[in-house]
Amino acid sequence: MSETTIPAMADRTQQRNWLPLAAIWLVLITVPIWLPYVGGYNALASRVLVFGLAAMGLNLLLGFTGTMSFGHAAYFGLGAYGAGFVLRYWIHSTPLAMLAAILLGTAAGALFGALMAKRTGIYFAMLTIAFAQICYYVAYSWNSVTGGYDGLRGFQRAPLHFGPYIVNIRDNGVLFYYFVLAVFAICTGLMAMLLRSPLGRSFIAIRENPRRTRFLGIPVERHVWISFTISAFFTSVAGGLYALLNNFADPTALFYVISGNIVIMAVMGGMRSFWGPLIGAAVFVTLQDYISSMTVNWMSFIGMIFVAVVLFFPRGLLGFIGRRRRA
Amino acid sequence: MLTLVLFNVTNGLILGMFYVLMALGVSLILNLSNVINFAHGNFLALGGYLTFVLEPYLGYWGALLAGPICVGIIGLIIERTAIRRVYDRDPVYSLLLTFGLAFIIQDLCRTIWGPNGLPLSIPNALNSPLSQQFFFITGYRIFLIAVVIVAVAALFGFLTYTRVGTRIRAGTFDIETVSALGINIGLLRSLNFAVGIFLAGLAGVLAGGQIGLNPNMGDDLLLPAFIAIIVGGVGSLTGTLVGGLVIGVASAVTSIWWPAGSEVIMYILMIVVLLVRPRGIMGEEGVMT
Amino acid sequence: MSLLEVRSVTKAFGSLVAVNDVSLSVAPGELRAIIGPNGAGKTTFFNLITGFFPPTSGHILLDGKDITEVAAVDRVGMGMARTFQITEIFPELTVRENIRVAVESQAGLRLRPWINRRQTAEVDDKIDEMLVATRLTEQADRLVGELSHGDQRSAEIAMALALKPRILLLDEPTAGMGEQETFQVAGLIRRLHKHTGYTIVLIEHDMRVVFNLADRIMVLTEGTLLAEGTPDEIAANPAVQAAYLGTAE
Ligand SMILES: Nc1ncnc2c1ncn2[C@@H]1O[C@H](COP(=O)(O)OP(=O)(O)OP(=O)(O)O)[C@@H](O)[C@H]1O
Ligand SMILES: [Mg+2]
Repeated sequence: MSETTIPAMADRTQQRNWLPLAAIWLVLITVPIWLPYVGGYNALASRVLVFGLAAMGLNLLLGFTGTMSFGHAAYFGLGAYGAGFVLRYWIHSTPLAMLAAILLGTAAGALFGALMAKRTGIYFAMLTIAFAQICYYVAYSWNSVTGGYDGLRGFQRAPLHFGPYIVNIRDNGVLFYYFVLAVFAICTGLMAMLLRSPLGRSFIAIRENPRRTRFLGIPVERHVWISFTISAFFTSVAGGLYALLNNFADPTALFYVISGNIVIMAVMGGMRSFWGPLIGAAVFVTLQDYISSMTVNWMSFIGMIFVAVVLFFPRGLLGFIGRRRRA
Repeated sequence: MLTLVLFNVTNGLILGMFYVLMALGVSLILNLSNVINFAHGNFLALGGYLTFVLEPYLGYWGALLAGPICVGIIGLIIERTAIRRVYDRDPVYSLLLTFGLAFIIQDLCRTIWGPNGLPLSIPNALNSPLSQQFFFITGYRIFLIAVVIVAVAALFGFLTYTRVGTRIRAGTFDIETVSALGINIGLLRSLNFAVGIFLAGLAGVLAGGQIGLNPNMGDDLLLPAFIAIIVGGVGSLTGTLVGGLVIGVASAVTSIWWPAGSEVIMYILMIVVLLVRPRGIMGEEGVMT
Repeated sequence: MSLLEVRSVTKAFGSLVAVNDVSLSVAPGELRAIIGPNGAGKTTFFNLITGFFPPTSGHILLDGKDITEVAAVDRVGMGMARTFQITEIFPELTVRENIRVAVESQAGLRLRPWINRRQTAEVDDKIDEMLVATRLTEQADRLVGELSHGDQRSAEIAMALALKPRILLLDEPTAGMGEQETFQVAGLIRRLHKHTGYTIVLIEHDMRVVFNLADRIMVLTEGTLLAEGTPDEIAANPAVQAAYLGTAE
């Protein structure tokens, strides 16, 4: 009875000892040192973090609220465009770009979430797909603003200014990686706090048993909507970072393939565990990078990864570790 | 002016036919198995290609039927070996599975038949325009509409008048009771899946005759199929039919004034339906919400 | 003045009238039992009271206020808590976490994305209180899904109690239990009623529990009210004996 505030879903193993947590951060912080020796490059590491954040954001909804979205590319892509708009049309500022990313993605999440409220299961998933496709369509067709098929180009992320100090994340890939890592750290910190809070607990309660939750006086639909919005928030942060990473924002960031990729990352890593989606993102992004450079038939390989995960590793890589005994 | 209106309406009608075929297949599978088949558009392409392969041996008319049947059988095999295993699991798994299958089938088509378009030849008799002024009303287009009408009528007849069809409809409504009555749900779902894929294959053949074959040819029809289902009401096959026709006609009518708006109107329709009648035109309380 | 009043509610599922023109009045502090054969409409009656679905006709009043149109989730806030015939819990959470969700909801914290130490301590205290009341302290950190059936029912009752209800509705709390477990749960209900003064409405099949604990009993058959009165009156009622007790024993 030592620790009474253990939230349901966070890995108990990880709660009991700090070793895995310390290991994760140690690995993340030392990436630029060892990465070149294993054949990686900084942009790849940044991309892992970006998609890891997107997948963790999605997983608040998928793994911790038990509600499926197959349309998170919308919030990811809108985040990217939000950042792109600021840098391309308005002001050369990375913080403002991130702010715009968050505003655009989160507002869309809140709006679409409200339109989908009261739907559940497969129907909800279908609506998320349709809404994401609307965003894709708008970005694709509204040529004068979004650059259409080619996307928004011709901008660069801006160096960060801290008083007299300038951190040049624009030209230095390692510094940019640490910038992404800092944002990632803040976001995961917020997520961990959320999951230990009454609101976070209500999400888990909904996942476990919506009927019971409702009869404990928790308005389930409203809480699912809140979870959806929060989830869109984190995914839009990832999208903003994605635009900064690439120095462009194009419709592929909104395409349903991205939605599917984010979901498979969460599931592959283990959607019941806090860090699972990050692990999934690391594996998936690396594999994708490797496979697409090796063969023209990369689509088949990616497809087979999906099939294999579903049929053979449905609990994901961390699913076995975080697995809890059942009656 | 009349010509222009008619031109757009015909285009819309043709498109509507494809929406209907595609949406009915997706809807059949969704209703009975609770699976959103992301690979439906790729089965469509595969159906087209198989017809292309069979045509030299069976002629157009033979291949017209054999192609969709073959892809239906392939669908059946995939259902039996893979999709069946995710029925009782969280719906996220069925989405991921069919998503992966979509990639694999598309890549397969690309590898075998190449990334560029292939023409699917159709009998000359079908190819000529009916009149000089209405050049866009070819025999093929009328044929296409006729085939779709026959297929849809056959589908509803099958569901209404055959024993298997009645069971499929009953299963859509209350799968547990149907299974409690000792009916083999697994088999029913397999058959139903095959029928859905057959419809996709048929759409593939028809589309192939119209615009040629390419590995992504079904992609643009998947989302309209979803929208048709949402607009018509999830859980109701008649709703899907109505939904498909409604968005087809709406697209056609819109394109008279605003050719680029034919896609926008679908999204607007969907949102309006969600706001005004969240369960869709024919959707009922309690069915698959 | 009654705490809960049900005025001739009817619920039809298509052509099946599951509850037909049934009224009920429960006084504060009363323990009311509802009995009736399988399919009599008891659970449906509960579902109407708690707002699981709306009645086809009729009204439901809590404390004189008409709540017929009030959503289920808001009725909880007005002091209505229930358990289900088939246990509804969070099987993969511990007993303590199960109760915590209820306590935090009741304390109005459910929308809070953070929680401070003082509030955590207060919540912990309330959880401990519920654990003691339902004698689950020893199982507190086990997963609810791993507990015995009797302890799961107790945990569900603990969650309902954590809501600080003014009226507690229990749907067959001893269903599917052995002798030992039935005594355990019956004892809990008796303590809640006698010592803590809870107002309780209880659906129950076990006649020993019903006739020994209830202040008043109502009997439903095929959706209609057959009889209503004290345990003695009900035991002596010929219609009840004929229609129900005679066949059930
Ligand atoms: N949601 C529903 N839809 C349709 N019919 C229902 C529904 N709920 C209950 N019924 C029907 O209403 C009737 C009464 O059911 P109810 O569950 O209220 O009985 P009960 O008295 O609680 O029985 P038991 O002792 O078995 O729990 C039954 O015939 C049942 O099939
Ligand atoms: Mg009952």
